[in-house]
Amino acid sequence: MNRGKKFVKVLFLLLVLSILFSSLSQVVFAEETIPINRLISNMKEYDGKEVTIEGEVVGDIMIRGQSAWITVNDDPYSRISLEEGGSFKGLSNIGIGVWAQKEQVDDIKVLGGYKNKGDIVIVRGVFHRACHEHGGDTDIHAISIEVRKQGYPFRHPIQWWKLLLAISFSLVSALLWAKLRMKKKAAISSSGKGA
Amino acid sequence: MILKPTREDLKLIAWGIGRVILGVGLIMTIPLTVAIFSTEWNTILDFLVGIASCVLFWLIIENTCKVKKDLTWFHGLVVASAGWITAMLFGAIPHFLSGHFKSYLDACFDLMSGYTTTGLYLLQDLDHVSHGLNMWRHLLTYAGGQGIIVIALTFLFAGTAGAFKIYVSEGKEEKLLPNVIRTARAIWMISITYLFVGSTALMFALLHEGMPIGRGFLHSVWLFMGAWSTGGFAPQNLNLLYYHSLIVEIVTLIIFVIGSFNFALHYAVWTGKRNEIYKNVEIRSFATTSLIAVLILSIGFSKVGLYTTLTEFFRKGFYNLVSGHTTTGNSTIFSVSFYREFGFIAMWAVILAMAIGASACSTGGGFKGLRMGIISKYLWGEVKSLVSPESAVIKEKIHHIRDIWLDDAIVKGALLIVLSYVGIYFLGGLLGIIYGYSPSVAFFDAVSAGSNTGLSAGLTSPLMPALLKVYYIFEMWAGRLEFMSVFALFGTGIALIRGKRLGRK
Repeated sequence: MNRGKKFVKVLFLLLVLSILFSSLSQVVFAEETIPINRLISNMKEYDGKEVTIEGEVVGDIMIRGQSAWITVNDDPYSRISLEEGGSFKGLSNIGIGVWAQKEQVDDIKVLGGYKNKGDIVIVRGVFHRACHEHGGDTDIHAISIEVRKQGYPFRHPIQWWKLLLAISFSLVSALLWAKLRMKKKAAISSSGKGA
Repeated sequence: MILKPTREDLKLIAWGIGRVILGVGLIMTIPLTVAIFSTEWNTILDFLVGIASCVLFWLIIENTCKVKKDLTWFHGLVVASAGWITAMLFGAIPHFLSGHFKSYLDACFDLMSGYTTTGLYLLQDLDHVSHGLNMWRHLLTYAGGQGIIVIALTFLFAGTAGAFKIYVSEGKEEKLLPNVIRTARAIWMISITYLFVGSTALMFALLHEGMPIGRGFLHSVWLFMGAWSTGGFAPQNLNLLYYHSLIVEIVTLIIFVIGSFNFALHYAVWTGKRNEIYKNVEIRSFATTSLIAVLILSIGFSKVGLYTTLTEFFRKGFYNLVSGHTTTGNSTIFSVSFYREFGFIAMWAVILAMAIGASACSTGGGFKGLRMGIISKYLWGEVKSLVSPESAVIKEKIHHIRDIWLDDAIVKGALLIVLSYVGIYFLGGLLGIIYGYSPSVAFFDAVSAGSNTGLSAGLTSPLMPALLKVYYIFEMWAGRLEFMSVFALFGTGIALIRGKRLGRK
């Protein structure tokens, strides 16, 4: 009898533990940052699930009524762009559109582009393989957006060697232009003499 | 007997190419201006170096290769084909100097893709590119759509009797006006009018969708240039998906469909012949092949159960299909989605649409509607003659601006070009398979390059093998020039090596 009670107790404990573990793992799943490339390569797997991404906000914030679209990139260039001396990684950017409430994007101040490194944000939201609300777009509907690191302007020191090259080419061109003009004048005067 | 080109021939060809390169340098002043207004100092220097190089090249040629002789058909064909290659080499200078390309080959790939209105690219970190470089990317696809030679003709070849020969050699046969220089200017007039109207419409759409006014203006011009030229470039990496906007998609769809029409058709409509829209063989051919492709696409989507509502079908299916059919390449999905989400049937519907392509004498590529019309009419005639009495003479005609009776020469010409396209598609696909890509992906990108479309299923990337990059450059170039000029250039190469000189008296 005792052994039977003990067995039921162990079974109950195991059940409680497994429920606890599974709910915990869901939390961990949502908070663990997922690369965007993995999301778009495994859309079926993540469709409708809560995901967390971390990356640079690039381009524009497009306000639509009480909501807004932002684009978040998490490729290697979102960490060190080619514009700040990053090395070639053999790929273009990897990003995704995030649909958020207007107030959720209020804290985003710097947008990534030629002159700036954009703010780095952590977006928690629901991934859609083909969002019914947005005509089939692949997107993330944000639950929360946190600015993890503020963006900054890139330094673009003048590349003087390019200026030197342009001046040298222009000087040679000027000489050739003068030569061409002289040739033309000579041709005109010789034809005039001939006449 | 193959005759060796004389020194005079080569000088004349070089002189023509010099003029084309001067044209490239002149166009670079527009992105230079944008870079100045955007205070992008290093980009300004990139364009100054580019312009100085073009002018220097032109002056060297003018000083050394000027001859008193007019261009013949042979010269015209070689100037067009070699002119495009040289324009690629010079146009790639600002690209390479921007620091967004790993190699000069990658920069040349993007240049050829732009000029030929393909839209594939190997540029890295696009989302951090300057306004000046973005202007150059879009401008060269807009200029390339009208034809680099058309640009040179408009401004730099005035009074040259051989101008028509290089105009035709660029893959354009229609003479809208008796004078070819005036034809070239008419093409520009049409394109610039549409640029104004289309960009304004896009500007309003983008402002409505929350874009700030300054960038909204630039994006509207760039999107117009990408769509109208059927190039498909966009300023952001996500292409049209970046905007998440039905209105922007509708406007660009209208622009690239109109852009894919024959310039002669545009001119006919402009001059009051509106009936031409309904009667023209290319419009009928485009409508028929679009309908068939949409049918196949919907069967494919129903199999995978994706994009189930009408809006989703329009924005993700129809839009990308028509973008492929007009050889534009603007896209509202991720590249990998063609392979991973569309499924086999829908993906091949897009491949088929890309292979057929747009209209002859337009900014588009592919077999072209005119040739599809000629071949299908010919086949229909053959079927009719089989069931008719032996004594019956069956002749078919097509309507393209005027009624044209089909004869063997027309049909043979169309078949030769279509077979050449099939050849480059097939070889490109085979190369991709040899390099280990899946057949669907390999053929998707090979057809996309050869038909100057620009959609990608993920193969085209800076990491693709160098040989594939070179082959795709060849595909884009040969496909855009519709082979004849390319054959002429190869013929010149052979003649230079194996040809015989005419004996001098």
